[in-house]
Amino acid sequence: MYEFKFADIGEGIHEGTILKWLVKVGDKVQDGKPLVVVETDKVNADLPSPVAGTISKLGFKEGDNVHVGDVLVYIAEEGDKIEAKAAPVAMAVSEGKEDNPAGVVGTIEVSDEVISASTEMGETAASTSNQKALASPVARKMAADFGLDITKIKGSGDNGRVMKEDIIKANERKQPVVSVAVPTPKVTLPSFAADTVTRIKISKLRKTIVQAMTTSQSIVAPTTLMDEFDVTSLVAMREAQKESAKAAGIKLTYLSYIAKAITLALRDYPLLNSSFDHDNDEIIFKNYINLGIAVDTPDGLIVPNIKDADAKSILELAQEIDKLATQARERTIKLETLQNGTFTITNYGAIGTKFGTPVIKYPEVAIIGIGSIYKKPIVNEQGAIVVADILPVSLTIDHRIIDGADGGRFLLKLKQHLSNPAGMLLHLK
Amino acid sequence: MAEMTLLQAINAALFEQMRKDKTVVVFGEDAGFEGGVFRVTKGLQAEFGEDRVFDTPISEAGIIGSAIGMAVNGLKPVAEMQFEGFMFNGFNQIAVHMGRMRNRSRGKYSVPMVLRMPWGGGIRALEHHSEAVESFIAHIPGIKIVIPSTPYDAKGLMAAAIQDPDPVVFFEPKKIYRAFKQEVPETEYIVPIGKAKIVQPGDQITVVAWGSMVRDVQSAIKILEKDSISVELIDLRTIVPMDTETIVNSVKKTGRLLVVHEAVRTVGFASEITTRVIENAFLNLEAPPARLTGFDITVPLPRGEHHQMPDPKRIAHEIKKLVNYKV
Amino acid sequence: MIISNYDPLKKEQFQVLDSEGKVVNPKYEPKIDDKTLLHMYKTMALARVADIKALQYQRQGRMLTYAPVQGQEAAQIGPMAALEPQDWLAPAFREFAAMLYKGVTLEQLYLYWYGNEIGSKFADDVNVLPVNIPIGSQINHASGLAYASKILGKNQVVVTYIGDGGTSHGEFYEGMNFASVFNSPMIAIIQNNQYAISTPRRKATKAATLAQKAVAFGIPGIQVDGNDVLAMYAVVKEAAERARKGEGPTLIEAYTYRIGPHTTSDDPTIYRNDDEVEQWRLKDPIKRFKAYLINKKLWSDEQDAKLNEELEAYVTETFKRVENSDNPSIDDVFDYTFVNNPADLMEQKELYKKYLKTTFLSSLKETSKANVALKEDK
Repeated sequence: MYEFKFADIGEGIHEGTILKWLVKVGDKVQDGKPLVVVETDKVNADLPSPVAGTISKLGFKEGDNVHVGDVLVYIAEEGDKIEAKAAPVAMAVSEGKEDNPAGVVGTIEVSDEVISASTEMGETAASTSNQKALASPVARKMAADFGLDITKIKGSGDNGRVMKEDIIKANERKQPVVSVAVPTPKVTLPSFAADTVTRIKISKLRKTIVQAMTTSQSIVAPTTLMDEFDVTSLVAMREAQKESAKAAGIKLTYLSYIAKAITLALRDYPLLNSSFDHDNDEIIFKNYINLGIAVDTPDGLIVPNIKDADAKSILELAQEIDKLATQARERTIKLETLQNGTFTITNYGAIGTKFGTPVIKYPEVAIIGIGSIYKKPIVNEQGAIVVADILPVSLTIDHRIIDGADGGRFLLKLKQHLSNPAGMLLHLK
Repeated sequence: MAEMTLLQAINAALFEQMRKDKTVVVFGEDAGFEGGVFRVTKGLQAEFGEDRVFDTPISEAGIIGSAIGMAVNGLKPVAEMQFEGFMFNGFNQIAVHMGRMRNRSRGKYSVPMVLRMPWGGGIRALEHHSEAVESFIAHIPGIKIVIPSTPYDAKGLMAAAIQDPDPVVFFEPKKIYRAFKQEVPETEYIVPIGKAKIVQPGDQITVVAWGSMVRDVQSAIKILEKDSISVELIDLRTIVPMDTETIVNSVKKTGRLLVVHEAVRTVGFASEITTRVIENAFLNLEAPPARLTGFDITVPLPRGEHHQMPDPKRIAHEIKKLVNYKV
Repeated sequence: MIISNYDPLKKEQFQVLDSEGKVVNPKYEPKIDDKTLLHMYKTMALARVADIKALQYQRQGRMLTYAPVQGQEAAQIGPMAALEPQDWLAPAFREFAAMLYKGVTLEQLYLYWYGNEIGSKFADDVNVLPVNIPIGSQINHASGLAYASKILGKNQVVVTYIGDGGTSHGEFYEGMNFASVFNSPMIAIIQNNQYAISTPRRKATKAATLAQKAVAFGIPGIQVDGNDVLAMYAVVKEAAERARKGEGPTLIEAYTYRIGPHTTSDDPTIYRNDDEVEQWRLKDPIKRFKAYLINKKLWSDEQDAKLNEELEAYVTETFKRVENSDNPSIDDVFDYTFVNNPADLMEQKELYKKYLKTTFLSSLKETSKANVALKEDK
């Protein structure tokens, strides 16, 4: 299908009026036959057909206004399908026959579209509401790497420019102090003759313990209270209960009962479950009890803790304790388990020790040492000498905030629970 | 006021200035009788006569060289190159004399001429008729270059160019010669040379463009409306002397820069703009300054030309990328 | 009418004075008043002295590259003498003598060749374009100057020069063609000094004469004995009349010889032999003109000797002044770029000045006697 467009017939004419059609739809035309008379500003022009074919459709009526580029008439060429094909891409126009408003090459887009009138914008003032930082790309990257919002960092450079050191400072303030800056006293070891001694490097774990112990001893004011509990009833109770526990696959240890009793006592004496903020003169009472159980490993002592021990049953505590022991042996204890403990139990009774002066695990404020249960003759209420099961207990407290009386009262409560384990039932929540 | 196309606006400016100043003359190949192949100079010869509006031989060095001579001797020539690609035939005169005559004579002789030519691609033309050549001339001291993107600017800039005592190259984006109309005052007004225009304000990214690209950036901004991206669009209008201040102030506000031009990439004018922005707004940058340009290739013939000219989709894509840049 | 009577295609060359200074073509001997004749002669003599000395200075390391005009004085001064004050000269780069006659001072010329553009800032009423180094482009400028004169009714004629080698260049054709099409009042003089650096004339073009290229432009062309100042004068006088009447350009081939090298950096002994040079010395333009003037009882050997003494002193003194002149200031280097210099260019200048101040002050201690003194800007 040939689309005969209204061309610029000269002198930059770009519109005209259809004066008279010389053909109608269906007419056969030769190349050169005048098809239509178009009236323009300058001339009335006869427009001849550029091809031979049959008039398929007239684009306009007589009297219509046409613009250069409008299709005046559709001419079906020989062998053409009647449906109009899409117009071929206008390629480079040959000189002489101007198909488009001038240019001799190419196709200029012609449109009557009107765009908005020109406005000269004055200088748009720098918007002050938009807080942006002045910083070099390097500094910006640094801030981003630290996870800091650079627009919130105060800049020490010209015009408030954020310098690298500003970012470093901001970063330091953000992070909590991981290690306590303990001024380790400079103690000079005597020099040992190399051939008389053997030097062995300590493990990382040991080093950690060295740090922890040093820290604790230099900050805390420890004092240890000791007592012996008559746990004959507890021993009997465990005997009675351990088979059913075993059937459930749980090893029911004394430690499980003791742990439970401790959580009950800590509920009544939360001071022993706290931490002390020396800088701010504040005691930090915790809403949770994460009971640490000191576990001996081949590499050294670690203290994983049972999260929210007060919410766990004796059986669950037994399970946890067992699990921790296994994980410790296999070195699969997660870091999280070792963190954020609130009170520690150290059970050296397993080794046969009775009494001790356990070291508080900073930043906790108390630690209890459980000795081995042994049979000992005691004088009962009736005044008779009987053989009882005795549990030696050593409680170290941070005397900065816990006085001896507080510690004593805690021990008393604990004794009550462990001497009369059935009575614990009354306190269970 | 009248609605005019870019082409009509230039024509109107020529009429206006020629009526006002008898020393203004207009000439070029086919520019006299026929009014130029695009009809930009149409009607001028009929009104002002052959002495002032005339056809020249095919002789670019002749056209430019004699324009220089005319300008030295009291005329204000508005000489035409039929297409920007043809200017290379007269490049000796442009590079070596047009911008130098004043310096060479220590100010005794100046060259108040305008060299105008259709410029840029997008009309699906033959080879050598679609070039964006502003960088070639920007590198020559002593010559000003303007490229209007709207009819209003075209008329005002042409008046300014004719009245400028220095030589001005006036590039006319042929793609948009007739692509739209705009209200244009029929009385004289000047659009100052050396002043960029903030087409629309924004605060997330500064986009600088000129010529027919301005419209494409506007289309891109429309595409991005749904993403609520706030773009500040600057129409450079004058290549030399560049309005560094407007661009730098804008980037200080937005922190991001994208320059869009159809010219070839290497040493395209974007490299000058980004360098000046880095020099003056280094600390305000929140993303590397970027450019979207033609490739370092010969402008393809019509079938492939659309690859070379950044289109609204690509522009929108680049804007988005920059706005989402995380440091 | 001279021009139509000497057809270059017939190898006819126009001459008035022969090598001895005898008038061999009395019909066309131009009527020039005595004052002008002497002025012409003295300017030719000045050009000769200044030219020789420039070469000497250069060999002494006191002058930069210089393009000598020795032997071509008549081809340059004859035409200039035939012009009116308002007429233009659009030179190439070997029109030292023409520029001198047209009102450019010796000091300005020396300043230019000494490397300072201020030498091109001629007086307001001196219608001369600066020296044009790029070959051929001056023809197009001349064409434009002439066109402007025509339609502004300034009654100016523009004389432009080009060398034999230059006529091969595209800009020569474009400029000549352009000017011819519009009948612009232009006169193009080809100084055919037989060599384009080392390339002899016959290798520049196959045309037998250069003047006949006028045929291609549709204008008259004539070959003239370029060492005959009167012939050059007469022809240009006629060509100027033609131009003023609106009859268009004329192409004049001045058949002359470059006695000296192309420039001071050229050694002509490589490509031509001394015999040829000696032959041409016998045709020296100043020698024959002097003889003519003496014959006319307007001049004498004694006057001549005295003149040359004065000229020596004048040239020496002028050059000394130039040698001691200031270098362009930083402002001069920048400010002539535009009439209205843009802010970014001025910023570049200010930053550079700042830099120079700091380095200058810091290097004051080290510099003892710098050849190039760094002048503080005013």
